[in-house]
Amino acid sequence: MARSLAGFIRGLTLGVLTGGVLAVTVGLTGCIAAGPFEAQKPVSVVSREDGSGTRSTFVDLFDIVEKTPEGGKKDRTTKEAVIANQTGIMMTHIDGNTHSIGYISLGSLNDTVKALEIDGIMPSPAAVKEGNYPVSRSFYVATKGDPTGLTKDFIDFILSAEGQDVVGKGYIALDDSAPAYTGDRPGGRIVIAGSSSVTPVMEKLKEAYQALNTSAVIEIQMTDSSSGMTSAIEGTCDIGMSSRALKESELEDLKPAKIALDGIAIIVNKKNPITSLTQAQVKSIFTGETKRWDAVLL
Amino acid sequence: MGCGAAMNALREKVMRGVFMTAALVSILAVALICVFLFANGLPVLGKIGIFNFLLGQEWSPADDPQVFGILPMILGSLYVTAGAIVVGVPIGILTAVFLARVCPAKMYAMIKPGIDLLAGIPSVVYGFFGMAVIVPLAGNSILAASLLLGVMILPTIITLAESSLRAVPQSYYEGALALGAGHYRSVFRILLPAAKSGILAAVILGIGRAIGETMAVIMVAGNQARIPGSPFQGVRTLTANIVIEMGYAAEMHREALIATGVVLFVFILLINLSFSALKRRMD
Repeated sequence: MARSLAGFIRGLTLGVLTGGVLAVTVGLTGCIAAGPFEAQKPVSVVSREDGSGTRSTFVDLFDIVEKTPEGGKKDRTTKEAVIANQTGIMMTHIDGNTHSIGYISLGSLNDTVKALEIDGIMPSPAAVKEGNYPVSRSFYVATKGDPTGLTKDFIDFILSAEGQDVVGKGYIALDDSAPAYTGDRPGGRIVIAGSSSVTPVMEKLKEAYQALNTSAVIEIQMTDSSSGMTSAIEGTCDIGMSSRALKESELEDLKPAKIALDGIAIIVNKKNPITSLTQAQVKSIFTGETKRWDAVLL
Repeated sequence: MGCGAAMNALREKVMRGVFMTAALVSILAVALICVFLFANGLPVLGKIGIFNFLLGQEWSPADDPQVFGILPMILGSLYVTAGAIVVGVPIGILTAVFLARVCPAKMYAMIKPGIDLLAGIPSVVYGFFGMAVIVPLAGNSILAASLLLGVMILPTIITLAESSLRAVPQSYYEGALALGAGHYRSVFRILLPAAKSGILAAVILGIGRAIGETMAVIMVAGNQARIPGSPFQGVRTLTANIVIEMGYAAEMHREALIATGVVLFVFILLINLSFSALKRRMD
């Protein structure tokens, strides 16, 4: 009895010791990353992955992609950037790290992070539509050849006054004076696939359309812009969604239609006092030239 | 009577066929995966050049011309796995010793289901835990990924090491006591060495799990495609490289990712081979 008790205590001590060592290690390193905002701390850059529609728009608009003398192109995003492969993961990174900076679609922005003014303009749907906010892009749907039947009717709906009204709630409508929907509401089933940035607004468009056309079945698959275009070309979906302009190779098979505008918001942690950056400063941070926050804080 | 015997013989035959088919399914799956991987991955190795691919330090699939070098990812997988071993193996083995030789029955009934539960938690949940708890403390780094993976491989190591400790005949332990060794001396000097091959198997399976883990690692490791300079910097593993970019990849990029899968497959193959070689030598 005494032996097993002693053994138990010894075993327990062993466990607590190992755990303790672990906790101390974590605690020590913790002091480096967490805590309040300090301007002399390094900027932690968070980027999306190569190939993401949001990334390619971002690096294009901020001139982070540069032409090489040989006629190629080079993405100068710093290799030190943390790579988040989804919008949600990007927001969690920014929310969890006081000194981080990242970028997301304006339509996905919420109050867990802080959006910055760019060249003095706060990102907002109105600023994008008027062309004042410099960082914006278009969303597209694409079909293989000219759309027919339910596919055509649904795209007509998206571009109608009713559809653009839905678009305007999350993103930015193309046209405030679009004609009202006058489709013939055919039945059937279509599959829509592609960009995770376009998917949220497409879900809302589907709901609004199905309220008008109860015999339509619409299935939406969230993948990404390139997969969406590939599926549309291969015929595994009827409509592909893209958050970037179509590539030339894709335009050989697909007919695109612009359905909405979106801004890209530059976001930082809420503890960060910075409110505004210039385009040049954003570029300098994301290429790794500006390494510390005090270089851009006034 | 004769009819019954014939029926029995037929039944035996049919059942043998059923079992054999079942056994062939897994072999067939392995064979198909091999064929797919090598048929799709090897041609691109020729195009990129095997040394450029394996030893290249830059990965820039979006550039023109594209650059595919996976040395940062190979090192990334190795670093993170080594870190997981440093964290997970000592804790795992000590826990197994505790469970097999020290733990009172009442406590065992509490700890054992806890460990089983740990094994059943989906890796994306580990990832969320890592993002919310470990990353704010350790940053998106090799350290964070190692800590998380170290915990994730615990159930594998504990379960196997415990059963191999339990398989050591009780007479070994009693013999050690009879020669005057104390409880802990007997456990660590006699039982642990006797269970060596089982414990090694546990560690190797743990390595396999760590090197193949994807989702949880992506969420905490930072995923930078460059060679890290310290354990506090982020890192991208081979598995993360495939998952992050597969959705977007086309043509050469896609083939390069499949070739990344080939490298990963060869890694696992090497681990398994060295394991069986070690085991054969010990037997």
